[in-house]
Amino acid sequence: MLEITRRNFIKVTGGTTAAALAAPSMLRAMETDLGGRDYNPESYKERKAIPTNCHVCNIQDGAVAFVEDGRVVKLEGNPNHVSTRGRLCAKGNAGMWYSYDPDRILYPLKRVGKRGEGKWKRISWDEALNEVAGRIDDVLKNGDPNEIMLKYGRNRTGGVLSRFMNTLGSATVLNHTSVCESSKKVGMEPTWGPDIETPDFANTKYVLNFGSNILEAAYFHNPYSQRITEGRVDSNAKIVTFDVRLSNTAGFSDEWIPVFPGTDGAVALAIGHVILREDLQDSEFITDWTNVSLSELKEHYEQFTPQWAAELSGVPEETIERIAREFAHASPATTYTYRGPAKHLYGSYNEKACMMLSIMTGNVEKRGGYCLPRGMGYDQPQPEPPQPKKASILRDPPEFPLASHHVSHLVPFWIAEGRQKVSVYINYMDNPVYTNPGAEAVWGELFRNEELIPFRVVLTPFMGEEAQTADIILPDVPYLERWEPESMPNSLWPWVGLRQPVIAPMGEGKEHRVYLQELIHRLDPDGSRGMKKYWNFKSSEDYVRQQFENVPGLKEAGGLDWLKKEGVWPIYGKLNPATGKVSDKTGREIKAEYGLHKKELSRADMTGATVDEEGTIHKNGKAIGVQRNGRSYVGFPSGSRLINVRIDEWAEYGFNPMPTFKRIPWHENLKEDEMILTTYKYNVHVQSRTASVKWLAEIVHRNWAPINTETAKRIGVKTGDLIRVESPVGHLVTKAYVTEGQHPRVIGISTGCGHWGYGRLAQLKLKEKGGEFGAQEDSDLKNVWWDDKGVHPNAIIPAVADPIGGSAGWYDTVVKVTPAREGDRYGDVESSWDKHMEWYKKTMGFTYVGDQHRKMHPEMADWAGPDSVGPKKPSGH
Amino acid sequence: MSEELRLSARETRGKPGVRRYAMVIDLRRCIGCDACMVACKAEYDVPLGVFRTWVPYRVVGKYPTVKKQFLPRLCNHCDDPPCVRSCPVGATYKVEDGGFVLQDYDRCIGCKACMASCPYNARFMLPEHRTRSNITSVVDKCTFCHHRVVQGLVPACVQTCVGRARVFGDINDPSSEVSRLVARHATQVLRPEQGTKPQVFYIGADRNMTEYGRDVYDAREALDDERAVFNRNHTI
Repeated sequence: MLEITRRNFIKVTGGTTAAALAAPSMLRAMETDLGGRDYNPESYKERKAIPTNCHVCNIQDGAVAFVEDGRVVKLEGNPNHVSTRGRLCAKGNAGMWYSYDPDRILYPLKRVGKRGEGKWKRISWDEALNEVAGRIDDVLKNGDPNEIMLKYGRNRTGGVLSRFMNTLGSATVLNHTSVCESSKKVGMEPTWGPDIETPDFANTKYVLNFGSNILEAAYFHNPYSQRITEGRVDSNAKIVTFDVRLSNTAGFSDEWIPVFPGTDGAVALAIGHVILREDLQDSEFITDWTNVSLSELKEHYEQFTPQWAAELSGVPEETIERIAREFAHASPATTYTYRGPAKHLYGSYNEKACMMLSIMTGNVEKRGGYCLPRGMGYDQPQPEPPQPKKASILRDPPEFPLASHHVSHLVPFWIAEGRQKVSVYINYMDNPVYTNPGAEAVWGELFRNEELIPFRVVLTPFMGEEAQTADIILPDVPYLERWEPESMPNSLWPWVGLRQPVIAPMGEGKEHRVYLQELIHRLDPDGSRGMKKYWNFKSSEDYVRQQFENVPGLKEAGGLDWLKKEGVWPIYGKLNPATGKVSDKTGREIKAEYGLHKKELSRADMTGATVDEEGTIHKNGKAIGVQRNGRSYVGFPSGSRLINVRIDEWAEYGFNPMPTFKRIPWHENLKEDEMILTTYKYNVHVQSRTASVKWLAEIVHRNWAPINTETAKRIGVKTGDLIRVESPVGHLVTKAYVTEGQHPRVIGISTGCGHWGYGRLAQLKLKEKGGEFGAQEDSDLKNVWWDDKGVHPNAIIPAVADPIGGSAGWYDTVVKVTPAREGDRYGDVESSWDKHMEWYKKTMGFTYVGDQHRKMHPEMADWAGPDSVGPKKPSGH
Repeated sequence: MSEELRLSARETRGKPGVRRYAMVIDLRRCIGCDACMVACKAEYDVPLGVFRTWVPYRVVGKYPTVKKQFLPRLCNHCDDPPCVRSCPVGATYKVEDGGFVLQDYDRCIGCKACMASCPYNARFMLPEHRTRSNITSVVDKCTFCHHRVVQGLVPACVQTCVGRARVFGDINDPSSEVSRLVARHATQVLRPEQGTKPQVFYIGADRNMTEYGRDVYDAREALDDERAVFNRNHTI
């Protein structure tokens, strides 16, 4: 048998290793580099490293792309990135497959035949742009600019899309936030300013996690997961997760506490009740930094007894009492939430109730506590087009005056009602046909209706469900081929980063900035319409260079040239191979700044300022800070510079301004055989864009519905059995996955699977030929062995909307689960526009002008009614 | 390990003058994100249907007291590897300095004796079709990222490990992190009774997990279904 001696080893590995072998003690565990370089395993040749910014999901990790013979073969985290620290999640590691998807669209397409029929013709860019420009021109000349609608999903263009729409003068710009986390944002913003928290997980002793699956998805999966493991192992933190299912996060936690969907807020209020009842709160913090007094707060919380919450949530009273004491005694401690509490009819109330726990225990802005997000900005190239003069009723619906992130998932119904004409629908990185409530039954219907939507242009490299109903497809490019500025508050250290093309755009693909410029230049060739002057940049690189020109510090370091080399700014220190943490020059871990609200105002700030009897510092008609114990602090970035436990604006519209909970009316008196349907994400998938990524699809390709063992017994099904899930708006047929890790009254059906578009792999149509739209086939797809693509739930989920925050009530659907009937086939999905329309009308009844509003708010009996408040100014978000 | 306790001439743990690379997997830090699985796929252009590293999990307990446990797996780079003993043509070999158990693709005749002898199911046959690499239809396995380690880099799975559950280094160096972790914590190896001297050490694994029957991977019915589909569709 061959024995490999040291001499053979050197021969095998080639000359480059000789130096390392000569000094064995130099090579040490974890003192070897944690990344930044990579080599080909067959030739041992070094791969070219180019820093960029990941964009498989929206966490925005710093990345390094390794390129071999012009092809991206490997992706790693950028070791210089303070949040990412060299690591990427499963999705980020697979990001090159967006570029190399064999079903990618590499040239412009025009539909032939009926809309949605799936027949396409390759056209030139010239033809495509002329047609789109012609349609836009027609509206600008003969209609209202607001008839040009743009809806985006994952918009990281750094302002390009707004620039485009502002140039056209249209305010009809819709995002996707209402299907994402908007009620979380709306629960937080009026309370303390920002729309998200940054818990200091690494240094905390106790985490109360309400409905966030942070170890698989959510903001900010990778950076936060790193810190949560540090908190748990290095800081001995306890993690308690409230969730309806045993996610990886719940399964990792010290305690998983199952909770009935939508009742997290009640549990949080009861925990608050115990803390205040037992006098465990931080009285000084409440007095100094909130807009209520301790006695007001105590009095208000008296109603939220553990017994009341236990009945609603199913969480035992003694558990609530115990967790309350543990949380209040742990120091520092933090809460964390994501979609669990927020994605309900009254999600904003739930979010508010949860964040109150960090506030009343004074854990805000403390090391190991619940911190404000730290952001860093970049500029827009000048000149900038002005905001459109006229608001869009689709973007700012009058029934939702507090929904500062819009209510985009109800837009199809509003278009159908004729609220606003849409002549041109521009679709950017947004697949509502798949991702929104109602799915094909709502958005598919809308998009196929040529009267309601006469012209649809989709900007995408993939034939997703939304692209299938396009009139023109412009082949946008995936993130590894784009220039974009980036910044995200995904750790306690602010940064700006650069997404730069690590390979040239493939085929005829172009990035947004380039073809939108060409469009504007077609609309205004000589500048006489006043549009061209906003689009005078030389190239994407030139545009992005201008965005980074005035970032303090970065400018001196070299601006864009620095970022092209390093990917991120600033570099806070070196990634320490012995700890995996970032160390400063002395070798110690870098320290975050805490207590942002206690930064003191300068003498210049105070010049001309007045202080009122509450201690609020006013200047030029604005609150600029708070005076406490003779010191002038900057306070919180809320209007009042305090934490608004009482949100007066909510009361104007008849909503309870204080922390409260509203039970979802149709969740009361559930019948024995009724359950709640919730959706969730798997660790390896984003919402809609990863089913065509082979390495991720190999790990998760089907989504059998988790169902509790006892429930399965009652229904009479076992794992793999066909089940029928019926909601008020339709039904689907999937398979059961029987598990102990599931609330007995909840069935889960994950998103991410069950595509009917998005290429052959997502649909498992691999017998069809690849490269239909110009891309190169991947012979590895011959090895695909699975034959189950899963079932998508959204068609049977009605479009509920939070009357405050506008969020979709994803987890509110009551369903009946039974064994499949005769004739039911796996993957059957049935639903209809009319049924969804009914539910839309029902949800509108909960808005402040609706007939259910007063009934839901008996405590607001003194409210003078909707006529007492004037129309609200459109928000700037 | 002292010189006297070394049973086989092949073993290099504790042998002076040579490195013996090892991995510690701290299950208290594993979040089951599967980043390691995908990083490994990219590093080697690993084809669909096979894995050099994988992360089985299981749900333990009875509702509502339930936990999820992950057990990242890879070749154990045994100090006394049975695959090396069983290979009839010397295609599988152990590198003395470092302890890597590697595969010589030019020598491999695809007889699968090594696959049969490995108690850890860590070896697999490469299919005919791959994206970029032209090494096909021979047996492959985890190399502990030999090509990266000799350049002073940690393996790809360690590099990307989000929870920093995977730690890699020279266990013959008492000051290395792996040595310190193994010295300070109770660790387990998989199937110690096989006498293979595995060099992947687990912190926080209980015997319920390391006795890794099929139930570790998924619910039994789901597993049976996937296995049947795999056998039906996966041809090598």
